[in-house]
Amino acid sequence: MNSPVLLGEVALGAPALAALLLVVFPWARRRRAPAAGLTIASSLVAAAAAAKLVIDRTGGAPDVRVTIPWLPAQGHTLAEVGLQLDGVSVVMLLVVTVVALCVQVFSLEYMRDETARSYGRYFAYHALFLFSMNLLVLAPNLLQLFAGWELVGVTSYLLIGFYFARPSAARAAVKAFWMTKLADMGFLFALLVLFASTGSFDWTVAASPQVATAVTALLFIAVVGKSAQFPLHVWLPDAMEGPTPVSALLHAATMVAAGVYMLVRADPLFARAPATRDLMLWVGAGTAAFAALLALVQTDIKRVLAYSTCSQLGLMVAAIGAGSAFAGFFHLGTHAFFKALLFLAAGSVIHAVHSNELGAMGGLRRRMPLTSAVFVVGALSLSGVPGFAGFASKDLVLASVEGKAGWVPWVLLMASAFLTALYMGRVLVKAFLGPPSEAAAHAHEPGFSMTGPLVLLAVPAVFAGLLGGWLARSLGADYHLHLGLTPVVASAAAVLGLGAAVFVFGGAGRRVPWAAALEYFDRGAFVDRGWESLYRQVLLRVSGWARWVDRYLVDGVINALGWGTLEVGTTVRPLQTGRTRDYVFAVMVGALVLAWLGGWR
Amino acid sequence: MNAAQLQPYLLTLVVFLPLLGAGLLLFLPREEAGQVRAWTLLAMGVDLALAAVAYLVFDPKGAEFQLEVRRAWSAEFGISYHLGVDGLSVSLVLLTGFLGPVVVLSSWKFIHDRVKEFHISLLLIQAAMMGTLVSLDLVLFYVFFEAMLIPMYLLIGVWGSERRREAAMKFFLYTLFGSLVMLVAILAVYFIGQPAGARSFDYGTIYNSLLSANRQLAACTQGVGCATLSPLALTLQAWGPLMFLAFALAFAIKVPMVPLHTWLPEAHVEAPVAGSIILAGVMLKMGTYGFWRFAIPLFPVAAYQFRPLFVALAVVGIVYGALMCLAQQDVKKLIAYSSVSHLGICMLGIFAFTAEAASGSAYQMLNHGVSSGALFCLFGFLYERRHTRRISDYGGVARVMPFFAASFLVVTFSSIAVPGTNGFVGEFLVLLGTFKASSLWLGYPVLATTTVILGASYMLWMVQRVFFGPIDRPENGGLRDLDLREGLTASAFMVLVLWMGLAPQPFLDRIAPATDRFVARAQLGTPDSAKVKDADVRVTVPPIEGAPPALPQPPVAAVALPR
Repeated sequence: MNSPVLLGEVALGAPALAALLLVVFPWARRRRAPAAGLTIASSLVAAAAAAKLVIDRTGGAPDVRVTIPWLPAQGHTLAEVGLQLDGVSVVMLLVVTVVALCVQVFSLEYMRDETARSYGRYFAYHALFLFSMNLLVLAPNLLQLFAGWELVGVTSYLLIGFYFARPSAARAAVKAFWMTKLADMGFLFALLVLFASTGSFDWTVAASPQVATAVTALLFIAVVGKSAQFPLHVWLPDAMEGPTPVSALLHAATMVAAGVYMLVRADPLFARAPATRDLMLWVGAGTAAFAALLALVQTDIKRVLAYSTCSQLGLMVAAIGAGSAFAGFFHLGTHAFFKALLFLAAGSVIHAVHSNELGAMGGLRRRMPLTSAVFVVGALSLSGVPGFAGFASKDLVLASVEGKAGWVPWVLLMASAFLTALYMGRVLVKAFLGPPSEAAAHAHEPGFSMTGPLVLLAVPAVFAGLLGGWLARSLGADYHLHLGLTPVVASAAAVLGLGAAVFVFGGAGRRVPWAAALEYFDRGAFVDRGWESLYRQVLLRVSGWARWVDRYLVDGVINALGWGTLEVGTTVRPLQTGRTRDYVFAVMVGALVLAWLGGWR
Repeated sequence: MNAAQLQPYLLTLVVFLPLLGAGLLLFLPREEAGQVRAWTLLAMGVDLALAAVAYLVFDPKGAEFQLEVRRAWSAEFGISYHLGVDGLSVSLVLLTGFLGPVVVLSSWKFIHDRVKEFHISLLLIQAAMMGTLVSLDLVLFYVFFEAMLIPMYLLIGVWGSERRREAAMKFFLYTLFGSLVMLVAILAVYFIGQPAGARSFDYGTIYNSLLSANRQLAACTQGVGCATLSPLALTLQAWGPLMFLAFALAFAIKVPMVPLHTWLPEAHVEAPVAGSIILAGVMLKMGTYGFWRFAIPLFPVAAYQFRPLFVALAVVGIVYGALMCLAQQDVKKLIAYSSVSHLGICMLGIFAFTAEAASGSAYQMLNHGVSSGALFCLFGFLYERRHTRRISDYGGVARVMPFFAASFLVVTFSSIAVPGTNGFVGEFLVLLGTFKASSLWLGYPVLATTTVILGASYMLWMVQRVFFGPIDRPENGGLRDLDLREGLTASAFMVLVLWMGLAPQPFLDRIAPATDRFVARAQLGTPDSAKVKDADVRVTVPPIEGAPPALPQPPVAAVALPR
């Protein structure tokens, strides 16, 4: 066995083992230290394995792919499972495991108020999640990727519904699962079409343009669901019902990015389908601008960040649609760090003020200097201020759409860049500047296990942009810094946005002039209503009709038949008189009829 | 006596051991409920062990039917005591064996009156189900098929809930009607299949003798040479469709296929937990198994002719069953309708006539046995505590019964075919095979795929209303979690769900040869019939042990039924 395969197996096996042990031994699950210890240790091992893989690759290790047969049919192998270790997957593995580790360590203190049972359950879910995510990341073909895809959906369901006694959390969990599952039908169809026409589940298969277009369009539906693109984005803001570290890991940094990751993986297939790429460009750019607009009026800090995630994922989708998978993937990586940082910092704030509402915060910079500092770092990175990681990758994304589709996507993305700086500036102003609110007055910095991960994540949030050249080499893409229209306009948008935020939101109680319209737009949430009415008005109504049909038509006919038989029985009952001579008479008549029939023939 | 010598007796033991157990129970004192339960559990446990031995002994690369035994029974009518298993039936035997002890454990505390009679009924059903699965003689098959009916009728009618009588009667009449029609068809097959004097109810004999007639008929339907039809082929041409429909009706009721399904929800709702587990776990599979073993291989031409009808009904069943689930207020009814939907997938897989779909369908039969058996079993535990089936009477149960909730959730994921659980493998293979079946309208697999989202809708909605949210009824606050017996039963199901989901290959390997032969035989009726090799659609029929050597028969023409 060669070493990269072993490392891959360790990355996959460690969290699986932790999850299995926690499931099988309730003893460990119901105590705090073993549950958390086991999960964090397994993540540490997985992260170390991922780091070794990345270092080896930098040293020139080749791509490795190993598979074992999984499903047999007619004597041959129909589907395989295994590991694919190449530039894309090992980098993604490192990002996922490092962010997961930070989030889990952060959770040690953040979740301390839970009962021992819930605490253990929380960490068991985390181990299961990391296994599922790694299964997805290391998948050698679309089938295994789908398996991991569905499993992260399941863990997302479990973690959003972590506070299942709260009806809103239970509802949000089902909603997230249902919406993504609806989209996943696209993935399932894609697999079926791909296999029926090429006999393979590989993304490298030479599919005809028609097949590639059909398959990629279907795959993209699944991405729209998983990566919360318009019009299936509505589950993501509601998913904020989950614990904040979960939002950081699943619903910002990794799971929702799985859609983008799949686009990067299946890029050879998408390269054969220009029509799908055009669609992606428009959906991505549209979502980026639309979600950024909605982020501007949220009063809940987590919902601001959730819409921001939709918007940033739109950026990545647009870049890949424009043909630059590398730009999308680069932004995925930097976004994972700074968005996880923002969410965890927000978690730290929520932990201190016991509220998600921006209105309850304010003036936190004095009481929580470290949290404020790292939040500012994250916000500047997200806004794309030059010098931060977010700038480098966002610049690449914006450059990739330059001139595409009559510059409209470029304009949309620039607008979203400006809006991003504006809404992040708004959060900074409302939560950290100004006079402290009542709750904020008693806020204090959390302990080391929470601040540690924040500081750790702040490093890549600043410097990850410098890795662009290295990443490009590792992926075989070309990357060069350039000075042109896009970086200048993007920098200006970021700085102007932040400045505008201070100006617009700086005074107490100041609002965006057109906030009323936006808020109406947000509260009306017409997209959300549309899906809800699909469920209630269409699905449930049709099932009500089906029930009526079943009861009165299908069963009714059967009951009528039964009743008819009974009636016939009752009617002919008098024939059974019990008198011998009646029967003899009947036999005689019968015999005569038969004789007559026979003779007639 | 070594193991090899024991092999011919293995299936006989599997079938009759429960019967022996039932005989033993007769001698136990009526008031010793504990002893009755223990002995039943022991008998079921040993039966499971024997079934497992049969499963392990079965060689996926060996003959089509294995562990065969054929003894003279009624030579003058061509009936023999012929048992044997192929890959599908041995898998179903294992499933039946597994559910045996589970059924006893799940009703350990639930049944209080007539405990002895209850357990005798369970053992009788077990024997009959095993017999149905391993019979290779049509009369024997029919006897066992009918023998399942009466103890099941009693199970629902005696130990059921409020409206048990009507439900039991409906179940009985529906099934009896179907099987009587099938009996006529069995007799017809007997009379046309072989010339007088050589007539036989033996499955293999009939299977082989119908081969060339089906071939000729298939050629004729495709417009190549109808002139040379043999008398048997002529008969089959005239009567084959009717005979196929007669078999199909009996099995379609058992599956059940829409619109013959209305007995199922009532039977499930009224049946005690044990009845529901047996019904959903094994008995419904007798329908799909019947299509697979008898209706399609014996009449492939007629089956191809009626294929559009059955595929359409299967797809309607998938969607309709799922829609019905969404409208239910009653947990058991919901699970019952989900069976209609899931078995629609099985039927679609059977009628797709591709290897992937057929093996997926066979796998789905096992899956459904495990997951719907588990759902009924688990809900039974809850019902024992709360005595209500209404979804709205629950809420927040996960708080007080975390282990129970976790188990139920795992089974739910299996039911909605999440990868990693058994449900995914079966459903995916069926959809894949149906997509590949180029002769089918693409709309069918597309509609069938909606099961993914519909299944998630009704199951998760039910889970949300039963397990999540606050505990708003005081009765639910004091529920205790599963005890050791219940926990072990639930764990057994979970292990199977994950095992079959993660490592399907060993299970599929056993099913594969049966699948290939079934598909080849079904292809006989399709335009591809010329490609099917005779060797792939024949079976070896062992001679009757202990019978005098057969006298040479004078050649007699087959009876041609009037057309």
